[in-house]
Amino acid sequence: MRFDVGLMLSWIPAALSGLWVTVGVWLTGGIGALLLGLAVAIIRRFGGRILDRGLWACVAVIRDTPFLIQLFLLYYGGPFVGLDLDPYAAGLLGIILYGGAYICEIIGAGFDAVPRGHQEAALCIGLTRLQMVRRILLPEMTLLVLPPVVNMQIILLKETAVLSIVTVPELTMTLTSLGSEHFAFAEALSLLALGYWGLVELASLLGRLAERGFSRYRLAT
Amino acid sequence: MNEVAIRLAGVGKSFGTQHVLTNIDLVVRAGEVTCLLGPSGSGKSTLLRCMAFLEEHTTGIIEVAGAPLGFALTPDGGRRRLPDGDIVKVRQNIGMVFQQFNLWPHMTALGNVAEGLRMVRRLGRKDAEARALLQLDKVGLSHRAGHYPSELSGGQQQRVAIARALAMDPKIMLFDEPTSSLDPELTGEVLNVMRDLAADGMTMVVVTHEIGFAATVAQNIVFLDHGKIALEGPAQTIFRRPWHPRLGQFLETYLDRGAAVLVRDT
Amino acid sequence: MEWIDVQLLAVAALVTAGISIVSILTGLGIGLLVCMASLSRNPPLRWAARLYISFFRGSPLLVQLLLIYYLLPAIGINVPSLVAAIAGLSLSTGAYQAENLRGGFTSVATGMIEAARMVGLSWRQILLRIRLPIALRLTLPAVMNEAVMILKASSLVSVVGIEELTRSAQNLATSNFEPIAMYSMAGAFYLLLNRLLSGGGWMAGRLLGRAGA
Repeated sequence: MRFDVGLMLSWIPAALSGLWVTVGVWLTGGIGALLLGLAVAIIRRFGGRILDRGLWACVAVIRDTPFLIQLFLLYYGGPFVGLDLDPYAAGLLGIILYGGAYICEIIGAGFDAVPRGHQEAALCIGLTRLQMVRRILLPEMTLLVLPPVVNMQIILLKETAVLSIVTVPELTMTLTSLGSEHFAFAEALSLLALGYWGLVELASLLGRLAERGFSRYRLAT
Repeated sequence: MNEVAIRLAGVGKSFGTQHVLTNIDLVVRAGEVTCLLGPSGSGKSTLLRCMAFLEEHTTGIIEVAGAPLGFALTPDGGRRRLPDGDIVKVRQNIGMVFQQFNLWPHMTALGNVAEGLRMVRRLGRKDAEARALLQLDKVGLSHRAGHYPSELSGGQQQRVAIARALAMDPKIMLFDEPTSSLDPELTGEVLNVMRDLAADGMTMVVVTHEIGFAATVAQNIVFLDHGKIALEGPAQTIFRRPWHPRLGQFLETYLDRGAAVLVRDT
Repeated sequence: MEWIDVQLLAVAALVTAGISIVSILTGLGIGLLVCMASLSRNPPLRWAARLYISFFRGSPLLVQLLLIYYLLPAIGINVPSLVAAIAGLSLSTGAYQAENLRGGFTSVATGMIEAARMVGLSWRQILLRIRLPIALRLTLPAVMNEAVMILKASSLVSVVGIEELTRSAQNLATSNFEPIAMYSMAGAFYLLLNRLLSGGGWMAGRLLGRAGA
């Protein structure tokens, strides 16, 4: 098996554009998922039983079925219900829905994990419900959900590779096409694997820094 | 005078710059019950754990049944660390009971007690279990042999833990606050087992807050304060008023809480 | 949607189930070995384990599958695509299970180990008779979670041509122009398999549970 490093180097511009797409979809999708998850978690908690149950079902379906199937439904099935999406849009929507479902669960668990005692102490001192939520519940909840949310973001980063299957020109698609074009799979796939590995390590590092930044406020609950 | 079971000479223990034990000289005699008392942070648990070599003493020499534990004296007056094999051999003379019981949750009571017999003494399963059952009977729990720790009360778990330690036939039994994790109604059953053990002549070193037990069962009381031995002596004299001021301070907290008076005033 | 479609998908679901179960079990075995290696006192072994875990958790499964599918023949190992697919899934999940197990291991209370030392068990006996059983029970939820992940991840082996559930749905959708129906049906089958898997995990939990840590 020969390794044509020169060839690999010639790919770098194209690879970078693929990387750009990957990071773009990841960041946009990640933030979108965070917002969606937060919104759904809040609606489920404060929006009444029917909404709660309905959204619970949606979340369960999204979490328990493969991402690829959801993507296919959006991209291939979308036009049949008037949702004509290009690969980008379908991919982005897919990431937001998939990530949103998981983050909704994480935040829901975060709500429950803030010790009751802390909330009761606040109310006993005389804080109103709203003050308690703003000053005690939400901050504590943020601390608790930070690690799992960071983890989820990294999972989403890896899921962006699946977008290549619906022809989104991100890193995987870019490099595998180059690989098959030049019949140089070893180079392409190695570069690909290393590329993601590096990205994930970088993202994990940032995540750890973020967690450490907040760690002062953590306590043995 | 009974022979020496454990001898500590110049023993100290530090965690980094924190000195937990300083210059401990102590002799534990065979067949006697020695109680280590003291306020929190006085180092009594650390001292006990050093005797088991679960903590490594930073200075000094500990001898168990005549053999050095963990570190031996070198001719030039220094210390050298002994190989693991030696440590294991010396440890065979010691049995330990922990505050948290530490029963293995995936084994039944019988399984817990038999484990050492099977794995260390290399007995066959049936043999080990038969002996284990006898030990459980001695602590009054043979009827619960097939139960898992999660199905036993705290007092029962601790009694199983005692049986587990006894199954290995130790010469010395160490107890690290054996009743501190128990609800008050359950401490009695454990203390009774310990009382019987003492009556049978077992050498015991007990870290405890049960002053009543210490006063009535122990032959030797060691009172620790800030890592040093503040007071040592037979139970009859130590608990006789007037108390040593530091001991008095310590005992007052128990009397303040309405604990039954332990002391026989003379 | 015809009845025949449902039947075809059902058969494909069985293929997915088979692939998943084999990968889950193999992956668990790999995970156990790698976990032991990552905790070993032998530095090269530890480093190899950490590298493996870092790589397989750090890159997308799709890329790993493509790597194995295209590169194995290149270095002379010719295996049927099914084997390559299962190998890819197993290696991937192995890394996650190794981390799960490691978490379980480090959670085993030191008191358990001290008691074992006091009774006189050797380090090896402590590892096999105390730490491992307790760790496995502690990590059962995480292990089951990972198993569900593999079930879903198996959909990716469709890209290397395996005729499992997702691939069959694709084929049907392109031939009968009913993507929504086909993919929804496939999704339903995945949900069903998911429930069955979770049920199995729950039963395993009950069996071990009596000795719960």
